[in-house]
Amino acid sequence: MSNAIADAVGGALESTGSALVEMSSVTKTYRGVHAIHEIDFDLVAGEVHALVGENGAGKSTLCKILAGAVQPSEGQLRICGSQVNFRRPHDALEHGIAMVYQETSLVPTMTAAQNIELGHEKLLTRFRSLNIGAQQLLQSMNFHVDPTAYVSTLGAAKKQMVEIARALRSQARIVIFDEPTASLTPEETLHLFDVIAELRAAGLGVIYVSHALEESLQIADRVTVLRDGERVATVDTARTNREEIIRYMVGRSLGSGPERTVPGTGAPARKRKVLEVENLILGNVVRNMSFSAYAGEVLGIAGLIGSGRTETAKIITGMLKRNRIHGGRVLLNGRPVRYRVPKQAIDDGIVYITEDRKLDGFFETMTVAENLYLGHLASRNGRRSWLLSRRKREQIAREWSHRLRIKAIDADAKVVELSGGNQQKLTVGKSLVQEPEVVIFDEPTRGVDVGAIEEIHQLIRQLADDGKAVIVISSYLPEVLTISDRILVTRFGRTVAEFSREEATQEKIMYAAIF
Amino acid sequence: MSTVSARFRPSGLLRMSQEQIVLMVVLALFVVFGVLLDGFLTTNNLLNLVRSVSSLGILGVAMAVVVIARGMDLSLVASMGVATAVAIQLMQTTASTPVALLVGLGVVMIMGLFNGFLIAFVEIPALFATLASGLLVYGLARTTVLNGLIAQLPGDRDFVSWLGQGAVLGVPVPILVFVAVALFAQWMLSRTRPGRFIYAHGDNAGAAALTGIPVRPFTTLEYMLSATIGFVGGLVVAGSVGGLNTQVIDGTLIYDVLLVVVVGGISLVGGRGSVLSVVAGTALIGVMLNGMTILNMNTHEQDIVKGLILLGALILDNRLHPRDEETVRQGD
Repeated sequence: MSNAIADAVGGALESTGSALVEMSSVTKTYRGVHAIHEIDFDLVAGEVHALVGENGAGKSTLCKILAGAVQPSEGQLRICGSQVNFRRPHDALEHGIAMVYQETSLVPTMTAAQNIELGHEKLLTRFRSLNIGAQQLLQSMNFHVDPTAYVSTLGAAKKQMVEIARALRSQARIVIFDEPTASLTPEETLHLFDVIAELRAAGLGVIYVSHALEESLQIADRVTVLRDGERVATVDTARTNREEIIRYMVGRSLGSGPERTVPGTGAPARKRKVLEVENLILGNVVRNMSFSAYAGEVLGIAGLIGSGRTETAKIITGMLKRNRIHGGRVLLNGRPVRYRVPKQAIDDGIVYITEDRKLDGFFETMTVAENLYLGHLASRNGRRSWLLSRRKREQIAREWSHRLRIKAIDADAKVVELSGGNQQKLTVGKSLVQEPEVVIFDEPTRGVDVGAIEEIHQLIRQLADDGKAVIVISSYLPEVLTISDRILVTRFGRTVAEFSREEATQEKIMYAAIF
Repeated sequence: MSTVSARFRPSGLLRMSQEQIVLMVVLALFVVFGVLLDGFLTTNNLLNLVRSVSSLGILGVAMAVVVIARGMDLSLVASMGVATAVAIQLMQTTASTPVALLVGLGVVMIMGLFNGFLIAFVEIPALFATLASGLLVYGLARTTVLNGLIAQLPGDRDFVSWLGQGAVLGVPVPILVFVAVALFAQWMLSRTRPGRFIYAHGDNAGAAALTGIPVRPFTTLEYMLSATIGFVGGLVVAGSVGGLNTQVIDGTLIYDVLLVVVVGGISLVGGRGSVLSVVAGTALIGVMLNGMTILNMNTHEQDIVKGLILLGALILDNRLHPRDEETVRQGD
């Protein structure tokens, strides 16, 4: 079998053990913020090297640099011993680096064979020879995919196979898998592992990026752990275990809990239940979410990206619709509710503060004051008057700019002129103006400067102390631990664990979030 | 990160708003035409100029309402033409003028409702939805209710004639109607809650929905309002030429309307510009059209000029309001 792979990729390969990739001190900054910082990484022929880390640890950035999609700010990259400088993905491809994306980079309206050949077409292509070539390639890897089938008709696993075949068609020596098992069934995953083992046997280098730690440990020879853009450790899988890797990932040894910077109100007695979510289901994204939120309490929701947290919040606030049959229930103060649009949720006192403020957070053509005033106008109170009031607008702007400490030259500053932190505060303010009872924050401090993070945390705490039910969705564990009274962990669209403030640690949460 | 970053602020000439640039161009053209063209700076010609562009300006205001909300109404001229023709045809019978006008109003209302429904609820892009609905309404009207190509306004309908040909204190009524419509629209857009919502909708529909604005019903209202203003423009046209030739629907009027709106600085991105932009655009196009007529240019030569101006305006719009602001995102 390994011979077949070797044939498929053209035979001549480096001998096992020679260095394919050497990255030294590679740094990438976005607007002064490090995405990855001075990372050393190497890959040798005939190994599978796994990259693990929390959300935002820098795994994707590292892979994108290797694949030529992103240019490093500093540092050197050597492929097979010679220094390279990729300016576009095509350069990386010419050096034999192929990235297998989750399933997104295929052209759905073309057949499998056409996709495999994409970018290598001769001037004139005969369908017959195209299909035969693709058939042979797929066969050599034991992939049962019909080369004449349109990609749009293929399932996730088969698309993945086409992706891999395409990577090998381009004579790749280094194959990067980005979350390859996210959409695969367990059997398909096993099959993928067989393929990866064959690639390794054929002398290729494989980089394996995954949230799923068990998988990485199972398939990889070495594991590199990234945290906050830095390389924490590179270990042989034979000489490590799950506990050690998790310790590296969260960055603290067991036992020492994080410091709480925001004083809580002590152990919260069970207060009035405001929002109750029962068995919420939406397709296969939200599979079974159940939890309750209490007045005067901050409920943190931790979990990996894609575990259905945002979707749950959007169902509650009417932006998404849950399954019509067996979709579960949402109870507000004991009354079942089902919102079609956010307006209805806002009228009932539930607001959702978006995770992507640029996408749907604020109005960029408007000033700070106009943004805040618009929140008021769209609320139940604001809807009473048809005419605008400059006095009311200025009063709201003054009050909330002060309460949220929004720093702008003046209230007439345009939103695009504000820093990320102030934009976030404005987005929060626009919702708080509507006097909600339940506030759902989604990644409240993403892309926010350090000083503002602290202020936003205090604000969240203050809201709970004022008797509101606050839900905070966050992928940043220290944040969840700092501000929450109770922590919920989600995995694959289900709530899988719940911790009180006292018993929660980063390790316990990671354990529950990763399978 | 600093509190304020100035990276979005364009520099130099681009610091001026588009209306200001356009008004300056109008002024320059005015001077050039005044010096070079015989008979341009006569009272008669100037009154004529303003009168002739008034209906275009009214239609421009109508279009502006939907474009500010990041929409587009290519059926504007069709619904205006059909509604006006229907109203005039009723006036040819014994129906009273108010009744005929109400029926016309009903036609544009239904048209706006239909467009809004297609765009907001069926979720067809506005460009194509209104392209299709315009064809549909004109075809339906011609095959059922309308008797001929031209609806002749009976001589005894003083109100409509007055709209097109009357004068108050020497000022032609079409100009007054344009001013009234512009003032009303400006007031509505800048001083009322629905006006704010229209801007919010055009700026960022997703954020508008999240903030609690009922975006779908609002879309429908926008198209109904736009069609209603268009109907006013249709009546002015009918009054000034004594009837309505429905062939105008097949003509290039809709492009002139778009030209007026885009040239003035109402960005197709939405949420930007005001009625003042329409006034500036109308002034420019009015002066251009008048000058070209005096120069004896034929329609094809005029089309070249209009096409170039539209392209220039679109390029400027693109420079001032890039559609895809570069958003650098960190991977995970």
